Amino acid sequence: MTTLIRMAAAVLIVTAGSASIRAREQAVPPPALPPLHLSIPSVAPGQVARERMLLLARAQPQQQEEFVPLDQLPPQERLPAAPLLVGAYAFVLLMLFGYLVSVSRRLTAIQREVDRLDADLKHNGRG
Amino acid sequence: MPKWFSPAVLVCGLMFVVSPFVIANAPYESTMGLVQKIFYYHMPSAWMFLTASLICGVASARFLATGTARYDRTAWASAEMAVLFGLLTLVTGPLWARRAWGTWWVWDARITSSLVGWMIAWAYLILRRYGGPGSEKLAAGLALFGMANVPFIYVSVNYWRTIHPATTVVPTLPFSMGFPLLFCLTAFLMLFVLLMKLRVRVALEQSRLDDIYLALDEQRL
Repeated sequence: MTTLIRMAAAVLIVTAGSASIRAREQAVPPPALPPLHLSIPSVAPGQVARERMLLLARAQPQQQEEFVPLDQLPPQERLPAAPLLVGAYAFVLLMLFGYLVSVSRRLTAIQREVDRLDADLKHNGRG
Repeated sequence: MPKWFSPAVLVCGLMFVVSPFVIANAPYESTMGLVQKIFYYHMPSAWMFLTASLICGVASARFLATGTARYDRTAWASAEMAVLFGLLTLVTGPLWARRAWGTWWVWDARITSSLVGWMIAWAYLILRRYGGPGSEKLAAGLALFGMANVPFIYVSVNYWRTIHPATTVVPTLPFSMGFPLLFCLTAFLMLFVLLMKLRVRVALEQSRLDDIYLALDEQRL
């Protein structure tokens, strides 16, 4: 009987102790962890998309607000058409003329060789 | 030199001398201005390039089918024409594009396929020059690919997204722009025929020369 009373008392003490610990845990918040300082910056998912939009916006040409006369452009932005046009025409004419001369010279050289060898062949045939 | 050579050169030369004056009288295009006048040499060069590639392919196909040397000579001559006129097209195009588009080169379907066609013509010539015996048939096979590329080059601007003008531009040209184009096209076509005949003649004389060398060798033996 005494043993039973002692066991019941022990159960009551343990139960009361654990209940008081649980109540204390709920009342007091856990201590805050110190902030992490990593080399990779932690960004919110929305921030990445916002930065991409900003980059895209910067890549677009600036909106034109006024007309600028050609002679007011900086020299590196002026691109005259005449040198390109003259260059194109000169290149075409030079290449065509050069090829014509090259083919006619090849033909003349071969014909000269053919005539010479023809004469040799006839001469050897007679001899 | 053949008899027709001097008058043909004279007529072609006169047409090319007069062409800048005819082009100068053409009106300026509204958005591109002066640089658009490269068009009058660029487009005929491109057409001659495509024509040469087609002739090379057809002659090669006939050579493969019949084995006749005449077709082989025509194919070889037209491959040289394709390289020459392709070079003119690929140089004048970027000179125009630099001013009109703000860039020398764009990897779009028309320009890239033209470059591929030009490289096929080069490959044909390199094969003929260094390929050794039997290379004429290999080169003829290659020329068929060059010919197959031609329709692709032509229609590419209508089917793929590109900034190159479409094929519908030329039929809509007013007479003041169409006449200089027709004049230049005639000059280029005449020169093309002249150069082609001359180059075929070179190939013919070369084969005669080879025959004579063979005959001389047989005499010595």
